[in-house]
Amino acid sequence: MISKGLFKKPKNELEGHHRIKRQGDPAIPTELCRSCPSCKQVIFTSDLDNNYQICPKCGHHFRINARQRLNMIVDTNSFTEHHSDLASINRLEFPEYEEKLTQAALFSHEKEGVITGIGKINGHEVALFVMEVTFMMGSMGQVVGEKITLLFEYATEHHLPVIGFTVSGGARMQEGMLALMQMAKTSGGVKRHSDAGLLYIAVLTDPTTGGVTASFAMEADIILAEPDALIAFAGPRVIEQTIRQRLPKGFQKAEFLLEKGFIDGIIHRNLQKDTLSRLLSLHSIPKGGDENGSI
Amino acid sequence: MFTKILIANRGEIALRIIRACKEMGIATVAVFSKADEDSLHVSLADESICIGPAPVVNSYLNISAILSAAVLTGAEAIHPGYGLLSENPKFARLCAQCGIAFIGPTWEIIQKMGDKDQARSTMSAAGVPIVPGTDIVDDPVEAQKKADEIGYPLLVKARSGGGGKGIRLVENSAAFINEFQLARQEAENAFGDGGVYLEKFLTHVKHIEIQLLCDQHKNVVALGERECSIQRKNQKLLEESPSPSLTPEIRETMMAISRKAALAIGYENAGTIEFLMDEQKHFYFMEMNTRLQVEHPITEMVTGIDIVKWQIRIAAGLPLTFGQEDVHIQGHAIECRINAENPLLDFRPNCGTISFLHVPGGPWVRFDTLLYQGYTIPPYYDSMVGKLIVHSKTRELTIRKMKAALCELVIEGIDHTSQILLDILSHPLFVKGDYYTDFMENELGKPWSE
Repeated sequence: MISKGLFKKPKNELEGHHRIKRQGDPAIPTELCRSCPSCKQVIFTSDLDNNYQICPKCGHHFRINARQRLNMIVDTNSFTEHHSDLASINRLEFPEYEEKLTQAALFSHEKEGVITGIGKINGHEVALFVMEVTFMMGSMGQVVGEKITLLFEYATEHHLPVIGFTVSGGARMQEGMLALMQMAKTSGGVKRHSDAGLLYIAVLTDPTTGGVTASFAMEADIILAEPDALIAFAGPRVIEQTIRQRLPKGFQKAEFLLEKGFIDGIIHRNLQKDTLSRLLSLHSIPKGGDENGSI
Repeated sequence: MFTKILIANRGEIALRIIRACKEMGIATVAVFSKADEDSLHVSLADESICIGPAPVVNSYLNISAILSAAVLTGAEAIHPGYGLLSENPKFARLCAQCGIAFIGPTWEIIQKMGDKDQARSTMSAAGVPIVPGTDIVDDPVEAQKKADEIGYPLLVKARSGGGGKGIRLVENSAAFINEFQLARQEAENAFGDGGVYLEKFLTHVKHIEIQLLCDQHKNVVALGERECSIQRKNQKLLEESPSPSLTPEIRETMMAISRKAALAIGYENAGTIEFLMDEQKHFYFMEMNTRLQVEHPITEMVTGIDIVKWQIRIAAGLPLTFGQEDVHIQGHAIECRINAENPLLDFRPNCGTISFLHVPGGPWVRFDTLLYQGYTIPPYYDSMVGKLIVHSKTRELTIRKMKAALCELVIEGIDHTSQILLDILSHPLFVKGDYYTDFMENELGKPWSE
């Protein structure tokens, strides 16, 4: 062991005598790093950007917004958005709802909690909806329900499969019964689309809960989920407090639901585009098949 | 000039950089792993910061910890040394984003030269002769066809390889497909990039490299060459400058081509272009090292130019104060790498506590080392424990001086490589200067395994 003060410091003046003039002190820009909520390691934002917003150290899937997701899934320049101008109003005069909507719009840069439209996945034309986590936690009000129902109706009319990415805290409480009604309305849209023999694939992302889980999220022909996503009707804390029992480890996580047969598969984000495109190929109209697009 | 520099390295090179800073009046920050608490660089620096546990991935390669250390101590620049993060473009880019100067070239250049395939095509475009070979090939059938065209023996090289890793030798056409697939698999596992290319394997070649210094004002000087043909498993053991087999004309040509290439790619700071040279004195580009080299001291000895100090000055934006015409190669220098390895046991690395250390002295003898008496070498890092460098008027005198210095070097407590270095220095082919990269394998024999 050598002591810290072993060596004397030479009294040499700075070579050239002048310091470099610098613009500010060295600093780590806040957007440069993030801490992974799962493994607690520091990760560089650029590493996340290059890795589908998946932690390179532990595989944790960071929450991403709807535009980022569209960018990852849809072929470049192939997406056309539908009904982008629809926005909620405070029909029930719920206190402070307008302020909440304004804040959500400012925070998310979106008008509502879902983006719908038509796009291509590796060349397969599909109708898509992607829920927006940063807009009031993707809660379902009348506009979200309406946009999704309109998308299913459009897809039915144009014989298109539907791919939906869900993320939601459930029905939007500020819209009360009108929000709960969206469960029935969207389910109707899904049913007609299904009756036309068309494919609907849902990808459940963290968290998918409440009225969304109880309606269109769980009504898909193929239900996929992202790893470790919370998928629930009532959340684990509510259940624990109601039944006064400890819930098993991993309860309501995607892996748990897969084990119990509630979902069909868990797909890492980096494999989603290829998986979806393969599923679309398998379910596409065979050459010389039914011209109505039935499978 | 910078007032404070963080040294993102360990061992003798950290000491080398700290010494340069002390002479220049620059404050130093050392970073260290938990296994290096007792290291010399920790004591010699003005400040030192622990950046993680022993494994390099958690400490010396831990970019966020190193950047945090730099920001917390107010270091204006980071010197990466060699190895570790020195050729990591991401690190260089992040330094820039944090407002810290990276003492080395820009991250774009590091990236370009780190991709061996891109480096080959860039250098070829800049007028540097390259070894006959291919671009990246993925399809085995196509690769086989191209391999047959190039002829055997040939090398399958990983695009992201380096330091002698990710290279496979193929002797004949029949063995090609198998070796090609193995090389791809190995590269995928080792570097996360299965891209490989083919290159003619030149037998009986010398490894010659040109040292460059390029400032931010388009001044480029070449500081002569180093011959590094004494290698074992692609790791250099002994280097000398100048090379005994270059004529002044070839030296001039190689330096001119290297300078032109550096200008063409917009290179900045110290860099080395490595060449292979066959018996007919044809030389081919091998790779460019975008950092300080282990063997830089021999160039310092024969040119009188302190490369580390110039790296710092260049990064601070200062222009070179000398031109190519001011560079004069004087005398001869040899460097011997002292590794904590046992040549009797196939160069098995070992570690232990240094019970006695005697460092050779006398004029023009330099020993760059991390050792001190009582130091315990940790088992986690590179086995090189020192570099013995000597300088004299002629090659013959330098060999004599090196032999004397090696005999005077005493490191008790570990096995090391000084005896095999003495054997190399006494070998008639080495004395004649008539040695090639296969010297260790084919010429030196294996008397130590008896």
